[in-house]
This record gives sequence, C-alpha cells and structure tokens, in this order.
Amino acid sequence: MTDIEIIDNILEGDRNSYTILVERHQTMVFRTCLGFVHNKDDADDLTQETFIQAYQSLKSFKGEASFPTWLYRIAVNASLNKVRRSSKFNFLQRFESFFGSAKGTDTAYPDLHTEDPENILIRAEQQEWVQRALDSLPEKQRTAIVLSKYDELSQKEIAEIMNTTEGAVEALLQRAKTNLREKLLANEKNIKYDRRKK
Amino acid sequence: MNCELCHENSDAYRAGSLPHDLRIQVEEHLKYCKNCAEAFRMLNLAEKVISEEKEQESNPFLSTRIMAAIEAAETNIPQNSPVFVRILRPVVITISLAVALFMGIMIGNSSGSANNGSAVPLELTLINDDDLEAISLLSTE
Repeated sequence: MTDIEIIDNILEGDRNSYTILVERHQTMVFRTCLGFVHNKDDADDLTQETFIQAYQSLKSFKGEASFPTWLYRIAVNASLNKVRRSSKFNFLQRFESFFGSAKGTDTAYPDLHTEDPENILIRAEQQEWVQRALDSLPEKQRTAIVLSKYDELSQKEIAEIMNTTEGAVEALLQRAKTNLREKLLANEKNIKYDRRKK
Repeated sequence: MNCELCHENSDAYRAGSLPHDLRIQVEEHLKYCKNCAEAFRMLNLAEKVISEEKEQESNPFLSTRIMAAIEAAETNIPQNSPVFVRILRPVVITISLAVALFMGIMIGNSSGSANNGSAVPLELTLINDDDLEAISLLSTE
C-alpha cells in the first residue's frame, strides 16, 4: 500500500493503519532527530513527538509534497524547537559544552578488554568536538548538513524539504563544511595548546 | 589544483567517485599542502563520528508508544499540563520578579525619607568649629 492509500484509510477511521506509516518511516525520522540532539533518548522522544504531530495534522496533508518530505519538515521543526528551548534555558550547559564536557550526548562505550583506554578517551573527545562543531552551525546550515550526512538525501530532496532551490542547498552545504572544518581545526589547536601547558 | 578546488572535490575524493586525473591532482595537493591535509583529516573525522552515531537504532517499541499516546489524546486523558508549563509559569515568574523589584524600590525610598527630617544640612557639615571665632568678639557693643 502506498503512503497516500494508508492516509486515506486513516482519515476514514482506520487509526491502526498509522502503525504501518510509523514503522515505515521511523528510522529516517529518528536519524534526522539524532543529527540535531546526538542523544538516543532525546531522539526517540522527538521521533514520537514528530509522529504524533503528523497524525494530528493528517487532515491538512494535501499531497503537494510526498509524505516523507512532509514528515521530514515536521521532524526538522520539532528538532530545531527542541534545540532552541534547550539553548534558552540551559545557559550553564552551553558554557559547559564550550569549555568542558558536553552533557547528555552519547559516547561510544567500546569493550575495555580489547581497546586501549587512551584510544577510548581520544575517540570520546573527538566525538564531542564534532558534535559541538555541528551544534554551533547556523540553523539552515545545520539542517542541510544533517539531512545530507545523517539521512543521505540528495540536494534536490533537501531543497524540497527546506523549500528552497538546489543552488541554495549547495551553497549552504559548502558554507557548513567550511565552518565545520574551521571549528574543528581551531578546537584541535586549543586542545593541543592545553595539553602542552599541562 | 589549488586549495579551493581541493576543498570542493574532497567529498567526491573521499567517496572514490572522482575521475582518475582529478583524483591524482587532489592526492598530490594533499601531499604538499599542510592546511588542506589537516582540513581533509578533520572532515574525515567528522564523517567517521557521524557514521558511528548513525549506527544507533531507535526504540523498537516506539510505534506502540506512539499509538498509545495518540489513543490517549483522542480519549482526552490529560497526560501533562502543557498550558501551565508553557505559558502560566513564565508569566507568574515575571510578575513575581517585577513585584519584588517594586517592593525593593519602595522600601529603599521609604528608608530615605525617614532620615530626611534629621539630615544635617551640607553647609553645617563643612564648618570647622576650631576656625570659628567667638561671637562675642564680633560684637561691637
């Protein structure tokens, strides 16, 4: 059954058909949300919020864009709202994330018996750098990078989701990569300087 | 091959989709340009971190949770008080702060006016008693 057929069934009263849509698109929504919050539990909550919002807005879905495109827009908006709420009310966490360890982000926990502890620490540190650098990008650049790298969408698909042109998406991605590169390089220089001081 | 071209082609180089000649040019440039080599290493790191992050999977029972939440919403079971959390609480906090500020100003003003009756005029505080001559000396009679 296509997405449109399932939506027609739901609007006619078959609420349980929505489970098919959820299971079909759950992974893509989860990955989008994960790209913004870097935390599995928060990403799960946002995924739930996205699907609930989508269900409540199904009547307004006109079919001009595909259902996945519409769902991506809801997921991106929900994620950005969450990020804005977090940054508004967590000033201390923001300072901590700049100068100390970021809270609430998932780090990989490899097997301590097979991996060198120093490598584990370096990997966790690198993961933090990258997540912080991604989080510090302007919203549009961050959205474009998340949709490109986490969801592996083409520039055309990203342009449709962001309601812009392919050229604008290409420019956003280029600027995002430049900013990301510069932030990571600056971060690495700061870390090396701190280690030499110690 | 300059740095700008190298940056533009770095993604395709990493993915292995560059034509042979261009790939050789990028490799040569990365051998000699320290800045581009560092930048390439950083973006590689970012790609690696993102790939590891993407390996995480969502909760397998999420669809059950979503359907339960939808059913609860449709049967009007209140699950939280979003109106209070989102609107009333910030308003109450703002009003409380404004009232506290106003009362502080009022208390400060009232303690200032209580002292006004017994305040010593500035001219009198500047008088040095040791320099004053006895008034009887100034009198001619």
